[in-house]
Amino acid sequence: MALYDTILPRLYEILKPFAQEGQTLSDETELVADLDLDSMKVMEILLEVEERFDISIPLNVIPDVRTIRDFARQIEQLTEQK
Amino acid sequence: MITGPTPTENSLSLRAGGFSTLAEALDYAAGGETGCNFYGDRGELYASLPYTELREQARLLARRLTGLQLERGARVAIVADTGPDFHRFFFACQYAGLVPVPLSASLLISGRKRYVTQLRALLAHCRPSVAMAPPEFFPFLSEAADGLDLVHIGTPETFDCLPETQERTEPLRPTETAYLQYTSGSTRFPRGVMIAQTAVLANLEGILQQGLQIGPGDRAVSWLPFYHDMGLVGFVLAPMVCQVSVDYLKTQSFAMRPRLWLSLMTQTKATISFSPSFGYEMCVRRLRQDEADRFDLSAWRAAGVGAETIRPGVLKEFADALAPSGFKPSAFVACYGMAEASLAVSFAPIDKGIVIDRVDRSLLAKCGVASPLSECELGSDSDKTSVSRFVNCGVPLSGIEIEIRNEQGLVLPDRHAGVIFVRGANMTSGYFDDPEKTRKVLSPDGWLDTGDLGYLVEGSLIIIGRKKDVIIVHGRNIWPQDLEHLAEELPEVRPGDACAFSIERPDRTEMAVMVVHCRELDPAKQADFIYRLQGLIREYFALDCFVELVPPRTLPRTSSGKLSRSKTREEFLTRNDTARLFHGRNGSDHDRLPQPDQQADSCAASSR
Repeated sequence: MALYDTILPRLYEILKPFAQEGQTLSDETELVADLDLDSMKVMEILLEVEERFDISIPLNVIPDVRTIRDFARQIEQLTEQK
Repeated sequence: MITGPTPTENSLSLRAGGFSTLAEALDYAAGGETGCNFYGDRGELYASLPYTELREQARLLARRLTGLQLERGARVAIVADTGPDFHRFFFACQYAGLVPVPLSASLLISGRKRYVTQLRALLAHCRPSVAMAPPEFFPFLSEAADGLDLVHIGTPETFDCLPETQERTEPLRPTETAYLQYTSGSTRFPRGVMIAQTAVLANLEGILQQGLQIGPGDRAVSWLPFYHDMGLVGFVLAPMVCQVSVDYLKTQSFAMRPRLWLSLMTQTKATISFSPSFGYEMCVRRLRQDEADRFDLSAWRAAGVGAETIRPGVLKEFADALAPSGFKPSAFVACYGMAEASLAVSFAPIDKGIVIDRVDRSLLAKCGVASPLSECELGSDSDKTSVSRFVNCGVPLSGIEIEIRNEQGLVLPDRHAGVIFVRGANMTSGYFDDPEKTRKVLSPDGWLDTGDLGYLVEGSLIIIGRKKDVIIVHGRNIWPQDLEHLAEELPEVRPGDACAFSIERPDRTEMAVMVVHCRELDPAKQADFIYRLQGLIREYFALDCFVELVPPRTLPRTSSGKLSRSKTREEFLTRNDTARLFHGRNGSDHDRLPQPDQQADSCAASSR
C-alpha cells in the first residue's frame, strides 16, 4: 500500500473529533471551512500529527494546506524526508 | 558553535534608564555578558546572541543599509518571526537612522491568501524602502510586494552581500521615530502607531523601575510575537534596556506545546514572563496529571497579565494547578496598556497578586457608579449575579496621567465609570500618514482617548469594558469592519447588510457576532448561507463567529445613516437568551439555539 493510503485513515482518526455532527470526512473536506476549527484547535491537531507521525511540520507549509488531501500529501512528503 | 545561553549574572552594573536612544542603550548593554537566546520547537537552544555581538552585527548591517542611500527615516519592513535576525535588523535600523516596521508572521491553515493580502496592505500603507523576511516567510513577502517599488527586498542572507558604506552612520536621534507598530492586522484600516525614541524610553524606564522593580538576578522568558507591543516593547526592548538576559520560544511552539513555556522557565530560573490570560489557560488545559511538581517556578516573581480582559478565574486555576511547582499567586501582575502608549499605562504593585474590586452590578449599569460591596453584603452564592468583579490594574507609571471622562468630556470622580484618557511622555506621536485618525484619538494637549471604559479607585485603574469597536480574541485585535467587508464577498450580502461586534461570554472571553440582512426565505438556503459565511470568516481570521440572520432593512442606523454597532449589539442581546447562546455555536450543533430553522421563522415572520 502506498504511504499516502496509510496516512489518510490515521489522519481521519485525528480529525474526527473536530467534525460536525453527522459529517463524513473525505479527502476533499476543507480543514478550516468545513470543520469546526479555531486557531487553538488547529494547534492541537498539528501537535497530534507531529507526535503520531513523528515529524516536524515547518511553519511555511501550513498556509497552503486547504483540504485533508493537501494535509495528507504534506505529511507524506515530510515522512519521506525523514 | 553555541556553548550555552547567555548568563543571568552580569559584570556590568545594571542601569535601567537614563538613555536617550535605543542605540545608546545597546551601546551600554554591549559592555556586559548578557543577551538573547532562542529556543526551537522542542525547547532546544539553537542560537545565542549576547548584546555585545548584537551591537556589532547591527552596526555592520547598518553600514550595509546606509550603502543603499536611503533617505533618513525610510521604513524597513521586517517580517517579525521570532529569531536573532529580527533583533539584528531592528537595531541596524536604530544605528542607520531608519525606521523598523515589524510585520505579522502568523501563518494559519489555508491562510496563504489572507496572509499575503494582509502583508500587501501593510506594505502599501507604510511604503518601505526595504523589506526583509526569513527564508520560510520570504515567498509570501515577495508575493505581497509584487509591483511595489522597493530599493531592496530579500532574506537576511541577501543583505549580507550588500557592500558596506565608508560613510559614518547616523543613529536615530531622541526626537525621531524609533519604530512603527501596526496595532491590528486590519487590511482596510491599518493603524501604524509611530513611537519616538523618547516615548518608548520613558515608558521602558517606568516599566522597569516602577512596574517591575528590576534588579540584578532578573531574567526574562517570552513566547509573545515580536509584532505585538507586549512582545516587542516588553520582551525585545525592555530586557536590552536593562541589560537582562532573555530566552525566546516561538509563538507557534508555545501554541502547540504550552508546557514548553513552563519547562523553559524551570530551566532558566527566569523571574519575569508575561502573557494574556489565555496563555495561562492553555497551560492548565495541557498540563498532565501529577506533572506540576516536575516544574520549578519558584523564581518567577513577575507573572504579568494583560493585552485582553484579565480573567481572574483562569489565573487562579493556573496558580492552583502549579502550586506544586512553587509558583506563587502573588507573582501575578495585572497591567493595562496599548501600543499607542508604547506599551504600558499602569502596573499593579509587584508581589501583591490579583486584586479584585467587587461592585454592585445594577448600580454600575444604571448609574455608572462602581459601588463597592463589603464581604457581608456579598452574602451567599445565591446573589452572585448582582455582583460585578473587576481586576485592579494598578496605578499609572510615573509621568502618566489618567482621567475618566463622561460622554460630555467632563472629568469624573473616583468610582464613576467613563472613558479612560491617558497622557504622558510615552504617548504615540500619531498614526503614520493618517492625521485624521490621529486627531480623533489624540488631542492637541496630548490626551489619548483609549476607547476603553473604566473607573479609578484612589489612583488605581479598573477596566470594565470597551467603547471602541475592536474584537479581541486570544490577544488578537480584529476589526468588525474587516469582518463585514469579508461578508460582502458573498453574493447575497450587499454593503451595509452586515454588522459585526463582540459580546462577552460568562467567562469574560469574547465572542464575535455578525447580524446579517437576509432576503432568503428557504431555511435550507439560510443554513447554507450561515455555513459559508462562517467558513469564510474562519478561513480569513481563524475565528468562530456567531451569525444571526434578520429581515432586510432592520439593522439600526445612526442619525447620519451609518450602521450602529452598539445599537445592533444591544438589540441582539435583547433578542437572544445569551445563556443558551454560549452553550454552542450555531451551525455546529443542530440541537442548540438559535437554529437556522428558528432564524428562518423569525426572518420570515417579520418580513411578511
